[in-house]
Amino acid sequence: MDLLQLGSHSFSSRLILGTGKFSSAAVMLQAVRASGAQLVTVALRRFNREQAEDDLFGPLSAIEGVTLMPNTSGASTAAEAVRAAHIARELSGSPFIKVEIHPNPQHLMPDPIETFEAARILAKEGFLVMPYITADPVLAKRLEEVGCAAVMPLGSAIGSGQGLASAAMIELIIRESSIPVIVDAGLRSPSEAAHAMEMGCGAVLVNSAVAVAGNPPEMAEAFAEAVAAGRKAFRAGLMQKSGSAIATSPLTAFLGVKA
Amino acid sequence: MKASPDWLTDERETAALAAMLSPHSPSSLEALAAESRTITLRRFGRTMTLYAPLYLSNHCSSGCIYCGFASDRKTLRHRLEPDETSRELTAMKKLGISDVLLLTGERTVAADFDYLRRSVEIAAKTMQRVSVEAFPMSVNEYRALADCGCTGITIYQETYNRERYEALHRWGPKKDFIDRLETPARALEGGIKNVGLGVLLGLSDPVEDALSLYRHLRHLGRTWWRAGMSLSFPRMRPQTGGYEPPFAVDDHLLARMIFAFRIALPDTELVLSTRESAAYRDGMSSLGITRMSIESRTTVGGYHDTEKKETGQFEIFDDRTAKEFCAALRKQNIEPVFKNWEPAYNGPSSEQNRATTHPLATQPCH
Repeated sequence: MDLLQLGSHSFSSRLILGTGKFSSAAVMLQAVRASGAQLVTVALRRFNREQAEDDLFGPLSAIEGVTLMPNTSGASTAAEAVRAAHIARELSGSPFIKVEIHPNPQHLMPDPIETFEAARILAKEGFLVMPYITADPVLAKRLEEVGCAAVMPLGSAIGSGQGLASAAMIELIIRESSIPVIVDAGLRSPSEAAHAMEMGCGAVLVNSAVAVAGNPPEMAEAFAEAVAAGRKAFRAGLMQKSGSAIATSPLTAFLGVKA
Repeated sequence: MKASPDWLTDERETAALAAMLSPHSPSSLEALAAESRTITLRRFGRTMTLYAPLYLSNHCSSGCIYCGFASDRKTLRHRLEPDETSRELTAMKKLGISDVLLLTGERTVAADFDYLRRSVEIAAKTMQRVSVEAFPMSVNEYRALADCGCTGITIYQETYNRERYEALHRWGPKKDFIDRLETPARALEGGIKNVGLGVLLGLSDPVEDALSLYRHLRHLGRTWWRAGMSLSFPRMRPQTGGYEPPFAVDDHLLARMIFAFRIALPDTELVLSTRESAAYRDGMSSLGITRMSIESRTTVGGYHDTEKKETGQFEIFDDRTAKEFCAALRKQNIEPVFKNWEPAYNGPSSEQNRATTHPLATQPCH
């Protein structure tokens, strides 16, 4: 069976869903169910133990077959992210932590230096670390070396819907990586998710594109189908692209012919 | 007198925003609204972050001509004692509030820095996020507040027109235009993570003020690139003291300002308080605004003892309860978010909060 392997955990679904930006927790839960996602991420800052109506963790943890991956969105330094990871593990019991350190709240681009430092510490402590990074092939290898379970390069800026703007760099990361490469952020349409999977990504993470769709559950389902199709195509082996037509009678057939 | 900084009048910075705010703008209000809505939805989703103000004290040492708490008003002066503050916060928690803005007047003996710091400490015990709108402080004072769990400072310039500013602020520490202008940078240097900027609409030419506000935000962002920034659009409301604003801003101009700022600053938090009517706030909640106050009181306290009859700083327009307000949001498919912060991220920002400025970089880059 074709499974996504993250540390000792395996998943048959290769679509990971984000849980922010939805119009209500009820719609978000419908979308999670419709997506068939087995791994969903939720920001620690949206855990609210004091007020059930405002809490995202409680209702998500009640869905069977779904593993929660808390994230550190809101942290601006490695120290804050490490602190958040400890609290998230305490509250959720999940071994996963998505390290999100985007110190500039204006564009939410991840800080490679703080992210690396947090990932190094948390991997050593036994977390399954999933770092959100810019599509940087060298950083990706450095994170693999310190024991991350996957790397999560951005397709484009969070919530921008600009798709796979960093496709060329993501291809380099995939070519060099021994751990799953998961495209996170920027995807707008299911076809972009299919494209990421065809390139050889281990999974994709989608949030805004589903949350702000006219019909979020239906869009979640569409992404699930696209991810499955893209994965199937990758495994089947895509034909090579060529810039020119390939002649049926070889142009070089004359070589080596005795006169 | 210290000269105003050059960035305050740099028109290149604001050309695009000025075009959208101009009364001769080719963009119709409807077209701006549509673009603003699209950007807001994409960046912030279908959510609204909620907070509530708590007035700790109405003692004040300044003579702002427009303010209900100015030191020459005959208002009954009062401050919350620690046990009263705790009771107020408990009452606020019961309404679901976990994001609080603590307010005082200008620095006085009754409500000085130590009083404010103790109040922040009390609030940080129960609230998930604590911000302060009080008097300008020193870098060290801001650092001490950040240490106690304060993550945000709101400090409005009120107006960026220096002449108007000096006429409106008759006496007291607030009279110093430049000191006020430099306050947000001091807060950020002290490790405060978020600053809220704004002008009090009605005091001076609103478009000129809006452009200066934008420049202020951009100026701060270039140096303090980790800073969270939010902008508010408070319009003068009937005040205790009865000041009539000479530059009244109508609904249409305010809407144009909100849309134009959303388009110019797609990622910045835009705030609208209960100074505005229920209908206006409901309308704006999907079009550009991403943070709103609820259940506001402008009296000192007022959440625990709701029967209090003292006068507030100004009149609330949207007086719906938190429940009513959330129901209205949900009707529009917007989720009210009470907790959108994690105290694990509290504490002063790192020493590297500030961008390393190249010694030759004296001009802003465009």
